[in-house]
Amino acid sequence: MTRELFPAQEIGSLMKPRWQIVAQHGDALDEKALADFRRANERTHFADGNPATAELLAGRSREAGAEAVRDLGALFALRLFETAGLARVYDGEARRIEMYEYPIRQMRGFQFQGHVRAFDNKYYLKATVTDEVRLERPYHVDEFDFVKAHAHAEPKLPITGPYTLADWSYNEHYLARQKGWKGPQVRRAAQREFVVDIAKRAIRPTLAALIEHGCKVIQIDEPAAGTHPDEADLVVEGFNAATEGLDAEFSMHICYSEYRDLLPTILDAKRCSQWAWEFANRDRDGRDGYEVLKALAEYGDTREVGLGVTDVHRDDIEPPELVADRIRRAVKYLGDPARIWVNPDCGLRTRSIEVATKKLESTVRGAAIARADFVNPRA
Amino acid sequence: MEVRIGLTGPFPRSEAIVAATRDLDRGRTTAEAVEELYARTEAEVVALEQRLGFDAVTAGYLRWPDLFRPFAETWEGFTVGPLTRWFETNTFYRQPILHEPPVRVAGAIAKRLPPTTLAAPERAGVILPGPYTFAGLLENRSGETEEALVHRLGRLLAEETKELAGRGITTFQFTEPLLVDQPPERSIAEAVVAAYKSVQAAAGGASTVVWTYGADANLAFPLLDRLPVSAVGVDLAETDWEAIPAFPERRGLGLGIVDPRTTLVEDAGDIVRIVKGLQARRKISELWLGPGGSLDLLPWEPATRKLHVLPAARQALLHDHGGRP
Repeated sequence: MTRELFPAQEIGSLMKPRWQIVAQHGDALDEKALADFRRANERTHFADGNPATAELLAGRSREAGAEAVRDLGALFALRLFETAGLARVYDGEARRIEMYEYPIRQMRGFQFQGHVRAFDNKYYLKATVTDEVRLERPYHVDEFDFVKAHAHAEPKLPITGPYTLADWSYNEHYLARQKGWKGPQVRRAAQREFVVDIAKRAIRPTLAALIEHGCKVIQIDEPAAGTHPDEADLVVEGFNAATEGLDAEFSMHICYSEYRDLLPTILDAKRCSQWAWEFANRDRDGRDGYEVLKALAEYGDTREVGLGVTDVHRDDIEPPELVADRIRRAVKYLGDPARIWVNPDCGLRTRSIEVATKKLESTVRGAAIARADFVNPRA
Repeated sequence: MEVRIGLTGPFPRSEAIVAATRDLDRGRTTAEAVEELYARTEAEVVALEQRLGFDAVTAGYLRWPDLFRPFAETWEGFTVGPLTRWFETNTFYRQPILHEPPVRVAGAIAKRLPPTTLAAPERAGVILPGPYTFAGLLENRSGETEEALVHRLGRLLAEETKELAGRGITTFQFTEPLLVDQPPERSIAEAVVAAYKSVQAAAGGASTVVWTYGADANLAFPLLDRLPVSAVGVDLAETDWEAIPAFPERRGLGLGIVDPRTTLVEDAGDIVRIVKGLQARRKISELWLGPGGSLDLLPWEPATRKLHVLPAARQALLHDHGGRP
């Protein structure tokens, strides 16, 4: 089946609605949460016929149970994405708290050390790898099964990549195996071992289990890739080791990075069929945020691009005409319109549900406007 | 050779401060309660620094949101800008935006220092941004060239140094990761040298240290060796120590031997071997040992554990020199 030009997809997280957070704690929904819940259901009917719905509306969140509330949260996100017109969807990561701690807790060989400040009064928990990485059990499988059972559009699962998990951890085990002073070369060698071990021992078996459950489209998130551009080869090694011998459509999501610094090394990610990158954030103040796509063309890369057309750090809703303009520029740089998917720059959890919805709707409308300008070469 | 040890940047916040500041942001505790916790924790950091035999105590700079914020919030000409990544780390600072040539406000930074600093200045170390890193990492809308800005910030930091030295502070550290990340050239390099001339003159008899980290310092050594300060420090986890160039004159050298990017504790024996190797090429008048980068890349407990290598390395070096410094 030929896909229409510029299909839309989400890129990961969605802000959890307040009613989900309140109900997960077992608290009765207050008036505002009830109103939000009813309004959302009027719009997408995500909760119709769900046994937990009656309990929530009757103020009996505890009786509904936290798992049933999370199910409702996942359905809410699925229907929001589908109603907005996305061709690929997930559950807005409705069951996940964040993208580091949960995967690490599914593995052995790590010890959590405590909190590190990211900025101001914001912190994140960090773990040390103290032994060889082993997978306790494949993860995200249950949530994928739920999405697969309920999605009307094609499911696409996001998972944190091996390089990012290693970069956000302390490397003790692999470093300790190296003799003498832990200078730059020694640290790099130890980090390579760590990345490849996570990829082979934890991520690959998880991806294999997901694929066995029917997952066909997987987004590997590597937000840390841009932190150390000189380690782009490690990102690639991790990606290749994690996906070796697996049959699925893999994309790599990187954001807020100088992509040119990662090129051409990153192009060695063999089984990556789509680059899902952030562009809209840098497309302002007279700067063409899409110009970097020229570099892909210069290197002769012909893979799909998940084109960030909406900025997830601003509440301003990009008008559909601006989205269409961004798509046109991407086509100009890439040449082939059939390579382009459209999406937000990154996960939308930084925006309110209302803003996120409007941004997605604008994305879909913008794609429709741009579609009229091009002939689909695959049709 | 004298061996000095101490912190070279902020110490991590304790888990109790993490919880309290989160609660403060959520309206679950009071500013007074958090303030009291800061004071108690600073006293703990000072006690740790003293127990480990550090030559200057800092109290950990637990309250500073980032290296520049106290300046951006108190000196004239600045506003506080967007979150920006701090070099190759997963931590961020708010980029100062400079709208007009900066003006120092006397006494403003002193008020932001940990209270223990000015209560016992003779044993206190003060950690300030270096002029090159400050100039390079702010957003400059002032109309001044980078060179002029380095000169100006050098003069202002010299005034700050003079004020604090006048209040009894005896050790000043200037944090300069940008010097090794993007070593300056030509006129800007000259501006950096001039800035530190101003600082050194203002310090009177106090020690002045330029501390770099985050990248291999070897490309920057021609400049680092020209800086008129008591010592320059380099990050040994990032710097190939065997490539550090020879230098014929006696001068201070700092080695960042505690790597905040791993919880693995360093081996004092390795450090002795490195110092001996360096002494064959450089005449080291004073050796400063400390963390290679911001120790707050680690949580409180592993940071505390790792610091014990500093007195152990000093002891091993003294033992290696027959018990004499």
